[in-house]
Parts: sequence; structure tokens; C-alpha cells
Amino acid sequence: MSSLDDPGEVREGFLCPLCLKDLQSFYQLQSHYEDEHSEDRDVKGQIKNLVQKARKAKNKLLKREGDDRVEPGAQGYESFSYGGVDPYMWEPQELGAVRSHLSDFKKHRAARIDHYVVEVNKLIIRLEKLTAFDRANTETSKIRAIEKSVVPWVSDQDVPFCPDCGNKFSIRNRRHHCRLCGSIMCKKCMELIGLPLANKLTSASKDSLSTHTSPNQSPNSVHGSRRGSISSMSSVSSVLDEKDDDRIRCCLHCKDKLLKREQQMDEKEHTPDIVKLYEKLRLCMEKVDQKAPEYIRMAASLNAGETTYSLEHANDLRVEVQKVYELIDALSKKILTLGLNQDPSPHPNTVRLQRMIRYSATLFVQEKLLGLMSLPTKEQFEELKKKRKQDLEQKRTMERQAALESRRKLEERQSGLASRAANGEVRSLRGIPAPLRKAEGWLPLSEGQGQSEDPDPLLQQIYNITSFIRQAKAAGRTDEVRTLQENLRQLQDEYDQQQTEKAIELSRRQAEEEELQREQLQMLRKRELEREQEQFLAASVHPRTRALDLREVVPFQLEPSRAPHSDLAYALDQDSSPVPGSAAPGTLSPGCTLAPIRLWSGPPALSQSTVPQQSKKTSLNPFDEEDLSSPAEDAASPAATETLLSPSAAVTREYNPFEEDAEEEEAAELGAGNPFTDPNSPAPNPFDEDDHPRPASPPAPGNPFEECPCTNPFEVDSDSGTEAEEHIEEELLLQQIDNIKAYIFDAKQCGRMDEVEVLTENLRELKCTLAKQKGGSN
Amino acid sequence: MNVVFAVKQYISKMIEDSGPGMKVLLMDKETTGIVSMVYTQSEILQKEVYLFERIDSQNREVMKHLKAICFLRPTKENVDYLIQELRRPKYSIYFIYFSNVISKSDVKSLAEADEQEVVAEVQEFYGDYIAVNPHLFSLNILGCCQGRNWDPAQLSRTTQGLTALLLSLKKCPMIRYQLSSEAAKRLGECVKQVISKEYELFEFRRTEVPPLLLILDRCDDAITPLLNQWTYQAMVHELLGINNNRIDLSRVPGISKDLREVVLSAENDEFYANNMYLNFAEIGSNIKNLMEDFQKKKPKEQQKLESIADMKAFVENYPQFKKMSGTVSKHVTVVGELSRLVSERNLLEVSEVEQELACQNDHSSALQNVKRLLQNPKVTEFDAARLVMLYALHYERHSSNSLPGLLVDLRSKGVSEKYRKLVSAVVEYGGKRVRGSDLFSPKDAVAITKQFLKGLKGVENVYTQHQPFLHETLDHLIKGKLKENLYPYLGPSTLRDRPQDIIVFVIGGATYEEALTVYNLNRTTPGVRIVLGGTTIHNTKSFLEEVLASGLHSRSRESTQATSRSASRR
Repeated sequence: MSSLDDPGEVREGFLCPLCLKDLQSFYQLQSHYEDEHSEDRDVKGQIKNLVQKARKAKNKLLKREGDDRVEPGAQGYESFSYGGVDPYMWEPQELGAVRSHLSDFKKHRAARIDHYVVEVNKLIIRLEKLTAFDRANTETSKIRAIEKSVVPWVSDQDVPFCPDCGNKFSIRNRRHHCRLCGSIMCKKCMELIGLPLANKLTSASKDSLSTHTSPNQSPNSVHGSRRGSISSMSSVSSVLDEKDDDRIRCCLHCKDKLLKREQQMDEKEHTPDIVKLYEKLRLCMEKVDQKAPEYIRMAASLNAGETTYSLEHANDLRVEVQKVYELIDALSKKILTLGLNQDPSPHPNTVRLQRMIRYSATLFVQEKLLGLMSLPTKEQFEELKKKRKQDLEQKRTMERQAALESRRKLEERQSGLASRAANGEVRSLRGIPAPLRKAEGWLPLSEGQGQSEDPDPLLQQIYNITSFIRQAKAAGRTDEVRTLQENLRQLQDEYDQQQTEKAIELSRRQAEEEELQREQLQMLRKRELEREQEQFLAASVHPRTRALDLREVVPFQLEPSRAPHSDLAYALDQDSSPVPGSAAPGTLSPGCTLAPIRLWSGPPALSQSTVPQQSKKTSLNPFDEEDLSSPAEDAASPAATETLLSPSAAVTREYNPFEEDAEEEEAAELGAGNPFTDPNSPAPNPFDEDDHPRPASPPAPGNPFEECPCTNPFEVDSDSGTEAEEHIEEELLLQQIDNIKAYIFDAKQCGRMDEVEVLTENLRELKCTLAKQKGGSN
Repeated sequence: MNVVFAVKQYISKMIEDSGPGMKVLLMDKETTGIVSMVYTQSEILQKEVYLFERIDSQNREVMKHLKAICFLRPTKENVDYLIQELRRPKYSIYFIYFSNVISKSDVKSLAEADEQEVVAEVQEFYGDYIAVNPHLFSLNILGCCQGRNWDPAQLSRTTQGLTALLLSLKKCPMIRYQLSSEAAKRLGECVKQVISKEYELFEFRRTEVPPLLLILDRCDDAITPLLNQWTYQAMVHELLGINNNRIDLSRVPGISKDLREVVLSAENDEFYANNMYLNFAEIGSNIKNLMEDFQKKKPKEQQKLESIADMKAFVENYPQFKKMSGTVSKHVTVVGELSRLVSERNLLEVSEVEQELACQNDHSSALQNVKRLLQNPKVTEFDAARLVMLYALHYERHSSNSLPGLLVDLRSKGVSEKYRKLVSAVVEYGGKRVRGSDLFSPKDAVAITKQFLKGLKGVENVYTQHQPFLHETLDHLIKGKLKENLYPYLGPSTLRDRPQDIIVFVIGGATYEEALTVYNLNRTTPGVRIVLGGTTIHNTKSFLEEVLASGLHSRSRESTQATSRSASRR
């Protein structure tokens, strides 16, 4: 556990399994392995070792034991061996066989309910016809004619008794016809359908029945037009007859069917409260599913000290996500209590449903919210950035060391390969510049010549190699292409890394010494440089072996910033030494002295960041050495060193806005108050709403915690440095309080009261600390 | 061939097909068990299934805002309940899934009941068995046979379960059965009948080597279910009992309320998944590590979060801590109870003698040890009886068989009549007469050499010497050496190649020891996948109930008669 928390021990990448040395690439690892561990070639032992280490690491990481299945149990479980497959790992299988009876089912159902549906639909079509015209302004006789045309009326003579109640029809007990089915009943048994109900039924079914109604509609409309001409004449007599302006007479059975239909329609349209709330809840959950991963990505990056995302933005997002969580919580709580206070208390199943929805919402919040890592505070963030920078630097120096070695080896291999593949001419292992005249050597293409415009030597190199590859491809030398491509890939990796380093370097500069000191240093170094160059000139007369150089470069690169000048000297040494014949010291020195002047005004950021690579590159890559004669190439390295030697005013000035930005940010943040606590404290924290009595719960008056929104200390004394620091502590405190409260809530949900107690205790503790701090600062 | 996954996929598909919105899952008693084995409540809650109802429960409320997913076995009662339900629908829409083949007439009567057109789906999803582990399934039938023959109701249920398994795995197998068992042949014929009747259902993509269904009978190996177990899963079942992944701990002294019943499921309990096949000693150390880890993370009562670093560490560890606490308390309780029972019942010593009885052929030493243990007051009557049963099974025909003396010893120890009767019942159930193959003495030269070598080397772990007989059977089967005169094919066609996909079904119940054997075979033999099933999964207790239910003990007195009868049958 402790080792996990210590970032110094977190190591990744190409670690040698035996000595845990960090090697930069696969090739390095391989060569390292060949060189260092060739004696213990007991593969089995190594694998065992590896397995054990992996297991240890796994256990450490996953905090779980019991994965000892890897090793046959000491008790003689010889059956646990490799080879077969754990049933858990069997390949995915498709869904098992299924058989649908739906069509069969529908066929039977259709036959059964056809009758019912047809009946209802018939009634509705008739109802529609009956209500299609303006009943109020139509003469009774005409209405009757229309009504009779819709459905043939049963003749009066056929029905002496009311079929429903059995009473005999007479003058007093008159016959009434159902307008929907034409049957006869007495007045008592007659039902009426109001127009609103009729309209409701017909309008709803219009869409679904349009196919049925359309053919019937046309005769109806003919009726209508005919009827319109007559209606005006006989309108007076209509008053005499009992007229149903807004009602339609029908029998009990028809009305029943229609009412059933209406009920179905109502059920379809009616949405209970729980459904509305539930829909909202699901919407919120979807939102969280979208936003949370984004935030986690941000927070992880920020907590690692990276500067890809802005802290402020992440804070906003956090607040937003938290608000959605609160909404989910509030909604689910509302669902939980829905109808609980009503008089006929809801059915136990309803209550169960509500409880389950609440439970699932709680599960959701627990799972997602607890995964929502906290953000570093402003101050922490700065620290993290620094730490990360240091880590990276440490790692880089180690890697560089390894890179030097392996590159050399790679080169050896490569050059050996190249020579074998080419004309068989054995080149020196030092990788003497490929003779340009040789047809087999690949030349950098024309774009490679524009190196002077290209400030980054790595990029140049990448260009070069791309052109080599092209040439090699054209020549059909596939093995060479492969080697080159590997080389290219490495370079690109290197370049990517360099880009990130660049960014880190930027931020690092911020924290460096004051400008004045630098200027003094610069003066000092300038003088030293001059002296060095003199020495260098002398030194270059005596060519040294590369191997020696390499060994000497290493210690310097461990502290590149402290001893850049000597580094430069060595770098130059390396440049010149392998080519004692061609590159005369005389031609070199003017290049060196001229270059700084030329590139002095060059983009500082670029030249600055190239420093480490520059020395590496010049010393390592065989292709570089071809470019030795090019002045620009020479210029680049001194230029780079130059910036290192003299972190010029321009550099710092360039970074100043950055710092100001940060300050502004800080100010903005202070002005806005605590982004973590603010949204929670003014709005009642949903986590606190739980009715569980808890000592010193935040909303209680007199609680120091409550004060924070109104008397935000950040607004008061944001300018005093030391106090601001304290308040950041306070901010952190508040944040922690929030977190712990979430856990209390969570623990309560799970019913672990002992945990709740511990947590509450901690919370109280925290609040005390907070109050004390507040007291101190006030 | 993963049975858990097969059932889970069916359930997931049902839920998926019903679309978004609040849902209720309507089940019967058996499907409730089937679903609960593959889905946890929280898992299924995430799929918007909020209510779980039994179709036969009368106290259901009308909730038109819920969709109903019905997962039912196609029994007469269920269809009747469903018809009632559809006449007065309580939910807005119904998705109906039957766990097995349903008759056309039932579909018709359902359709005629659905006047309000609430049914949106009627399908058969063949999840008609309890999926215990990826390679292990059960039908939860205790007492499947009457005498030596099937209880007709259980035969039809077993046939349904087995055909559902085949359909869910999309396998149309060749069938082999154990010749000595009438029940095995009967079941094979029933399965074959269903396959030919529902031939269009069983039309799957043909594999090069057709899958194989091997039907065995428990009576061929009555030893395995009588042994004490030392691997976690088997041990828990033997000493505490696992019922649909649930363990009843209510009889554990001083148990806290929320641990009365715990769930051990390899699907969502990582510790269990990693330890279920490890032996007791390994689990002990693993649980110790787990606990130590947990202690480190547990916020102590006195621990004050003084510095911000403290708090940060606490807050970061909390979710892990929370997750762990449930697992830890569960496993610590279970393992604690196991070790309490082991020492209370003197199980280490008992088990050593059991293993000797099961694996070695030294009669005098075995007899001596059994006698010694019978005198030990710590040995329970249950364990004493099972020792005598093992002795009786192994040395049934031994020249100096002293079973009557041991039975006297049992009586003097105060072992109840029930157990003493069971001794002869077990011999009747799985004695030499009944067995088709020899359980104790190796037959072929290879096995003899193996045993000889084993004797030379000495045994590495005395408590786990025993290999279930199933291991040998499957080993031979995989190598294509399983004798056709003992395990004939049903029907004319035979398998020419070595089998790849094997489904073994044990009438009368499988055991977790056999499940471990199959697990190991799966791991050690590439290209072979074996699924084990049984009418149930036995521990000693349930096995004795099975023996009791078969009704064989009543005839134990007339042993001469029984012998002549079985001889004539052969």
C-alpha cells in the first residue's frame, strides 16, 4: 500500500524483469537482456521469476490475494496446470435457441377479438356519421332520415316488449331506437351519449380507423350537402319534437362498449406522477453517463499534474455533475415519498416499486459519485505540476542514459546490416558518415536540405529517415526499410516525448531563479564559454574515441542545466572527433562562434527544449554526422546551449503572461468562492436531508460550516499570501468534509451504522479543525 | 458451452426486448431460482426491472405504468394463472417467455384470453435449468427415482431440463448412457424422442465432431457423495449447504442479523471466484491476507484524521474499503464457521480415514481406523455412520468383512436407528451388484501401474487423495477409450473421432467434487469442453435423503431376494 502511494516507486515501461532497470524501448530491453543476463539463461527460472513478480505486483495493485492458482498448490493439486481453458474463459457464445409463438398467438387472438373490435369500430364509425353534421341547426325529420340511413332501424311491430326490461310498449311506454345499432328499447333503458364523449371517441379513432371510414365517408357527405338545402325550411317544427341537440340516443350495450373503449383511451393517455418523475430521473442519469467520464478524464489528468485541461473548467464540470447527482437524489427521494401521506395509503407493491427506484438511484449515485475523484486545489496543483516535472526529469535522465547505450547498439546493428546489405563494404562501427557518393547510401532528399529553416533537429532527422525509407523502398531493400522504419518510429516517439518535455520545461522556467541572477550567470557563462571554446579548439586536435565520450557525456546529462557549457564542449567534441580528416577544427570554430549570434533571436522555446536531444542526437545518429559540414546543424547545438547558458530576458518575459494568467485564475477562483462547497451549502445538501439525526449537521445554526458562503474569507484577504495559503487549506478542508458527508450518506444507505459513527466522528473532528482555523484567521 | 452465460443471455434479451421504462418481472417458483442464479438484484435494477412478482401471488396491484416480463415454466398451473392475468391485465403490456416448449393448445387458450391485446411477445427461451457455474448445472430435484426406476414426473422434468440445456447451448448431441442403469437408458430415450419431435428446433450448424451427451447414474459411484470435502465450494456445501448459491448461516452461534443468509456467487464475488477450488489451508491463508488488507484500510475508532494527508488517504481508500467490507465479513464468517465445525467434529481425522477407505485396499488397517474413530466421542453419529457406509461399500465382498461388528459398534455409540438403517440402504443403492464398473480396484494395466507408483511415492495430501470415478470415465471418453459395452450409444450411429463438446448428466445428482474434476479436466485438456449436470448437487446429507427417497432401504432385509432379482435382470 505504502509503495503504491509513493510515486517514486511507480515504474512502468520497458523494465528489465531481472534488475528492474528502466530501459526505454523494446530494443534496449532486448539488448540489455542479451548483454547483462545472458549468463543465467535458464528460461524457466526467468519466467518463474517474472510470473512471481507479476503476481506480486498484481496483488499489490488489486489488493487481493488468492490468485495462487497460477502455481500448483503446495498440497499436490497437480491437476492445476496450464493448457486447457478455464470454463470462465470459454469463447463467447451466441444466444441459445429461441422460438416465437407470436404469430400463432396473434392469429388466435385476432380471431377471438375480431368480433369485439369490429363491433366497437362499427359503433364508432356510426357515431362519427351521426355527429358529422350540425345537429342544432338541422330539422328533426332530416336528422331522423340521416339517422335511419346510418343504421336500419328495427321495425316497431317486431318488438312488442323492451328487450332489456321486458315491459310492454304502449302509447305511454314508447319505443326508442338506438341510433347506433337500430335496436329498440324503452325510455328507461335508453342511454344517451353526449357530444363531447362522442367527439372524444371519434377523434381518437379517426387516425386508426381512417382506412375504414374513408369509403363510408363519401355517401355521408352526399347526405350532408343534400341536407343543408332543406334544413332551413323546416327548422321551426323541430322544436316541437323532443330533440337531442347534443346527445345521441343509444342502447345500454352500445354505450357499454363505448365506455370501455373510453377507459382504454384514458389509460393510454394518463401518465401517473411516478412516470413523469421517473422519466426525469432517467434523463438525469443519461446526462451523468455522458458527463462523468469526461470529468474523470480531466481530473485524472489534473491530478497527475498535467496541464492539458484547465483546473477552472474541471471545477465547473464537477459542479455541474454534482448538481445532476443532487437532482437525481432529489427526484428519487420524491418518488420514494410519493403518495405516502395520502389517506388510503398506497398498495405495498407501489411502495416497494418506489423504494426500488430509490434504491437503484442510490446505487447509481454511489457507484458514479464515489468514482468521481476530487480535484487538486490550486496550490496542490502547482505542487503536482512540480512533482511531475521532477519525476519526468528523473525518468528522462535515466532513460537518456539507457537510450545512449542502446542507440549505439542499434546503430552498430544497423550499420552492420546496412553494410551487409549494401556493397559489403565494412564500415566502422562508429558509423562514419555514409559516403555520399555511394549509390547504396541513402541521401536525404531535397526537403532535408531545408534544415536551416527547421529548428528541431529531431524533425530534420525524421524527414531524413522518411526520405531514406522512400529511397530504400524504391531500391526494393525491404530489410533495410524495416530497420529504417523502426528507427523512424523511435525518433517519432522521441519527438513526441520532446514535445511534452517542452511543455514541462515551460512551466519549470516559471519557478526558476530571478532574472537578475540569471543575467549574472549569463555573464559568467559567456566568459566561460569563450574560455571553453578555446579549450575545445585545442581538444579537438586530439581526436578521442567515441566510447570514451559517451561515458563522459552521461554524468553531465544527469545535470544538464547545471553544466551545460561543458556539455556543449563534449557535444562538440563528439561532433568533431569521428571525422578528424574532413572537418578541420578551423572550419568548425567559426561555425560555433557565428551561430550563437545568428540564432540569438531565434525562438527561445524551441532552441531551449532541443538541448538534451541535441547532444544526444549529435553524438548518436550516424545520419547526423553526414550533416556535420552543414553550418546550420552546427549552429543549432550552440544555439541551444546558448539559451541554456543564458535564459534570456525574452524567455522569462514570454513566460510572464503565463504567470499572470495563473494569478488571474487564482483571483477569479477566490472571487467565486469555493467552487466545491458553494453549490452545496446555499442549496440544502441533498445528502444531508436524510432524517437521521446527526450531531452538528451542517444546516444547524451556529455551525461554523454554514458561515462559509456568507463570509467567504477569500474575498476578504485574498491579497495576503500566507493567509491565502491557509485558506486553501480551508478550502481543502471543506472539500474533505463534503466527501466525508457523501460517505456517511452512503454508509447509511447500506446500513453500516458502525461506519457511520466513525465517519461522523471524523466529520466532527474536521469541523472543529475548520472552526479553529477560522478563529485563528479572523 | 457456458451455462451461466447462456441463461444470462436469455434474461438480458428479455429485458432488452421490452424497451425502456419501468418493468416488473413475473416469475414462478422455479424460474425465480433460475434468474437469481445469474443476475443479482442490483444488476437487474440497473436494467429498470424494479419489481419481482410471483405469478401465483394474489396480492398484486394494478400498475398500468409498468411493463411485465413473464418468465415462466410452461406448466398447466402457470398457463392458468396467465390466462387469469390476461383477462384482467394489471400491467400495460406483457412480454411472455416460456422456459420450455409450450403446446399449441396452450398458446391458443392464452390468445383467446387476451381480449385487451396486452400481449406483445410470446416466445420460448430455453433457460430451464439452474446454472451453478459455467460448467455446472442442476435441476434441483431431490429424489428422482423410485427404487431403480424414474418417478414419471421427475423424468419429464429432467427431460425438459436436459433438452432446454441442449437448446440453450445449441447442441444436438449423440447420446451415450450407462448400461447398468435402467434410468439412464430411459432418460436417453426421452431426450432422443424430444429431439426427433422438435427436429426443427434442433437444427443447428453442424460441427465437425458432434457433441456428446453422456448419461450416468449416481449408483455407479456412491462413494464420492459420502466423503468430506476440503475445497472451498465443496466444503461449504458439505458442512453448511448451498442452495441456489445461498448459504444458511442462521445456526452459526452468535451470528449477526445481516449474515443469517449469505450469497456465494462466483459471478460477482471475486474472492469466491478465485478461491472456490482451492483447498481449506490455502483459503485460510488467503482469508488472512484479505483480512489484514482490510484492517489496514479500516478506519479505526481512535484514528483521528488530523492532517489533510490523512483525510485524503482516507477518502481515497474509502470506496475500496466499502467494497471490501462486505466480502470480508462474509468470507470470514463462512471460513470461521467451517474451521469451527472441522475442529468440533474432528473432521481432519475422520476425513483421513474416509480417504483411506475410498482409495486404499488395506482392509485390516481401515477396519482398525474405523473402529478407533467410532470410539472417539468427538465423532458425530453422522460421521460415524458415513464411515461405516464407506466401509460397507468398499469391503462389501471382502472375506473378513466385519460390517455386523461395526453396526453393533454404531449402536453402542448411540447412533440413531435411521442412520444404521441407511448403511444397508446405501449398500443397496450403490453396492457392487448395482455398479456397472469397478469402483475400487483398477482394471487396466495403466491404472494398476499408476496405483502402484502412487503407493511408492506416498500420497502428497491425505485429505484429497480421492478422485471421483467420473474422472476416469471422462478421461477414457476424451481419449476415445470408453468401452462401448459399458456405455453404449443410443441409436445406430457412433462417434468416430474423440469428442470435443461433452455434456455429462448424473441421474441422482452430481457433487461439487465432481464439478472440480470437470473444471480441472476442462483446464488440462485443450479443445475439450465438458459441462456437468445432475438432477441435483449433493452433499452427504442430501445424498442420504436421495437414497432414502428411492425407497431401497425397505428391501434391505430381503437382501437375498434382491440379489436374485438383480441377477435375473442382468
